[in-house]
Amino acid sequence: MHEVSIALRILDIATEHCKREGFSRIESIKVRVGRASGVMPEALLFAFDAIKTGTVAEKASLTIDEIPIGGFCSSCNSEFSVEEPYVLFCPKCGETSFRLNTGRELDIQEMEVF
Amino acid sequence: MKIKVVTRIMEANDRIAAENRKFFDDAGVYVINIMSAPGAGKTSLIEKTIREFGNQVKVGVIEGDIAGTEDARRIEGLGIPVVQINTGGACHLDANMINEALVDLPLKDLNLLIIENVGNLVCPAEFKVGEDMKVMLLSVTEGDDKPLKYPLMFQESSALILNKIDLLPYTDADVGKIRKDALSLNPSLKIFEVSCKTGEGIGEWAEWLQSLVT
Repeated sequence: MHEVSIALRILDIATEHCKREGFSRIESIKVRVGRASGVMPEALLFAFDAIKTGTVAEKASLTIDEIPIGGFCSSCNSEFSVEEPYVLFCPKCGETSFRLNTGRELDIQEMEVF
Repeated sequence: MKIKVVTRIMEANDRIAAENRKFFDDAGVYVINIMSAPGAGKTSLIEKTIREFGNQVKVGVIEGDIAGTEDARRIEGLGIPVVQINTGGACHLDANMINEALVDLPLKDLNLLIIENVGNLVCPAEFKVGEDMKVMLLSVTEGDDKPLKYPLMFQESSALILNKIDLLPYTDADVGKIRKDALSLNPSLKIFEVSCKTGEGIGEWAEWLQSLVT
């Protein structure tokens, strides 16, 4: 539901960057969104398209790299990765002694500018 | 040409949240951010908690709503300094909104600032506002499936308050399941069972909160 706020931040960061480096047009922006970040990729794409009109990113495409939840379990000494938005126990051994390393990402990676 | 940017999207919000936090720390005020679905009883919990404190804790309140001043009026009726933020459509409070509201509060005279977030189980969990702790309120009538449906909220909160326990005989909600799932998501979560209607459990919650504040 807060994807519009997130899209506005992406646009702000990208526009600022463009201005600072002296570019006038953004062709594409690539972001990473973790599955446990609370952001729905479809809603973010929709929001971004709605707010980019009249900006240097008017023609820009947004590409979302979805990052699954991944962690390391110290009980079975192995790494795991799941598609769900949360993990309650290690999907390999069922124990709860794990720590999560990925899945909360929400960042801009790169953009193509002219 | 391709350029590497690598910027956290929430960076600006987190920076302002850190500024707010410093401001709160300098003023010596403890800040909690209360989040729940609409109608779970956030304003009722705040009213009950303030009454329970009596004169022992000096409280201020920031009310976040999409529109209206209904909640702020209720708090004002208790003689408590209150600021209403109308987000005008936004589904959550962010650090900047809190930053702008601070000038209207006598922070130095307060021990505790309670921020009532917009009723929503999704977005408020994503936005830090400079709080010392996030508190989640879940009414048992919302159902025992909520921890697994809205995991982020339970993971981000330090305390979970289960409200409306007086209605348990009329629902199928299994408090044991809520506790078990919530603790699986967040093993350090502190859980309270209360009824803002009957007052049950409010004392225990208020006592715990007071121990953190003073």
